[in-house]
Amino acid sequence: MSALGGPKQTGGIQPPTAMGLVIGIVLIVAALALAYLLVQMAGLIALVGIIIGGVLIAFGVHFVPVGGAPAAMGQAPGIATGVAMLAAGAGLAGLFGGAWAAPLGFGVALAGGAIGGGLLMAITCTMVNVIYVFGMGIPAASGKVDKDPITGDTFPEFKSQGTEGHGLPFISWVGGVIGGALGGLGGTLIYLQLLDVYQAQLPVILNATVEQIAPVAVSLAGIFAVGMFLVNAVLAAYNITGTIEGPHDPKFKRFPRAIIAAAVASAVTGIFAIGLLQLVGVF
Amino acid sequence: MEEIVFGIGITALAGALATVAGAAEDVESDIGSQGDPNSQVQLAPQMGYIHRIFNKAIAGEPPAYGLWVALGAGLAWAFMAMQINPILAIVLGSALAVFVQGIYATTAYLGRTASLAKFGQPVYIDILKSMTTVTMAHAFIAIFATVAMCHLMISALGHPFPLPLLGIVWGIALGAAGSATGNPFYGKERQYQEQKFGAGVPISASGNIVRYAEAGQRNSLDNGFFSAKLGGPASGICFGLIVFFELWRTVVFEEFNIWGPIVVGVVVILVFAIIDRYIEVWARKNFGPYTAPEATEEASS
Repeated sequence: MSALGGPKQTGGIQPPTAMGLVIGIVLIVAALALAYLLVQMAGLIALVGIIIGGVLIAFGVHFVPVGGAPAAMGQAPGIATGVAMLAAGAGLAGLFGGAWAAPLGFGVALAGGAIGGGLLMAITCTMVNVIYVFGMGIPAASGKVDKDPITGDTFPEFKSQGTEGHGLPFISWVGGVIGGALGGLGGTLIYLQLLDVYQAQLPVILNATVEQIAPVAVSLAGIFAVGMFLVNAVLAAYNITGTIEGPHDPKFKRFPRAIIAAAVASAVTGIFAIGLLQLVGVF
Repeated sequence: MEEIVFGIGITALAGALATVAGAAEDVESDIGSQGDPNSQVQLAPQMGYIHRIFNKAIAGEPPAYGLWVALGAGLAWAFMAMQINPILAIVLGSALAVFVQGIYATTAYLGRTASLAKFGQPVYIDILKSMTTVTMAHAFIAIFATVAMCHLMISALGHPFPLPLLGIVWGIALGAAGSATGNPFYGKERQYQEQKFGAGVPISASGNIVRYAEAGQRNSLDNGFFSAKLGGPASGICFGLIVFFELWRTVVFEEFNIWGPIVVGVVVILVFAIIDRYIEVWARKNFGPYTAPEATEEASS
């Protein structure tokens, strides 16, 4: 029983409730139906893409090793910043690459977005270890597992007294890169879906060519992609509550709940993005 | 070929601007205690340690820089639309964004510090006068360099995003890179300089930050001086490498094959994996396992 009288905390992992699942499915189905009504099949496909993108972002955030304030004092392992912020930094860098590669094709753009996000995390995680090792003289030690699942390094003997571990073990580095790549992939997928919708609708509404409306379509799709990225990253951060070391952290197992929440949030926000031009037309 | 050479030049310039931006961002945030170590600056008076450290952490670095850079980029974009020379437009946009940062810093310091009144922490007006302008100066460099870099990406490399949107994207990435790399150095090595080198700060020591300098009480300008030695440059290198590799792989290899940038990106990630693993193993070999400090040393410290 929590202080607020909520349901019993079961080791930090709470399965979604039946009521939550039903409401979530109803909202997703309603959003899909609305998308079909507003923009027909293209709208439906775009919304499915947006939902998949949102789910990828929320899932990816769980991989990112974030230690928050304790990491800045070498009291806990991970990167010394917030979960949503770091994931947003990586995912948006991926979106930058994906949007740049958009004219080259769907597959190239998605891969470009994923690699962009992964690259930011690879460089950032490496520089974190550079600072820990060469600036502070502290070797990496996980607080959640005794042995690195990838390299087999043992940690308990390297852990400083009175701390939960410190630095960035290799498993966390790999988790960071996977998280950044999934975030970049999801953000780029949302951007490409919205760009398709706007590029189809805007020339008809504004009575202009595709080239003329390109800046407006790119800007709208970009802003919505950034916004939806932040929605999903923050939702996942709430699910994590504070810090996480990466895929080996017990908190990682909480991800199914975040995936359901991200699917619902993406469906609801996505319908506003897809139906934006119709809404503007109504008023 | 000429196009590639031009692109490489722009990439190098953008990377250099990003390096300057990253370094200035980290030093600015450390002077303002805006990164995660702010928790200790806020905690110290509650544990009885009154200090003269600036504290403006009412938002994380990434969203704060997302705001300021997007603001600078948006204003610069508007000035450019008014046919003002791009360099002048970027300077003007960044200067106006810095005034917002200054107001943010002032209200944040007053608000955060006033909330500690019940623990006896005074609001030092001289701190406000001397530190705010220094954070503003560093923020100007960071914002100007990032907006200039975004402008290069659009005008010289042809990125489709408009300037303000690119400002949000790279502003958030700048804050993420700067806080991730620079925070541990400021938090552990500066705020807890009295603790043993080569070990994490025990949780029991939380709040006991170093409050005295060589002469008199330590203030945030001393912290900026310290961060500028390693945390700032390392953050700069981190952000500079991110921007450089992001642009370089596209500018050079897209000409040969559309999948070229992706393959090169994967190779670069693998190279960084090897570097990271080497550093990790090097530290384990050279530093060895943790050994508890001697009882006598502990008593004297």
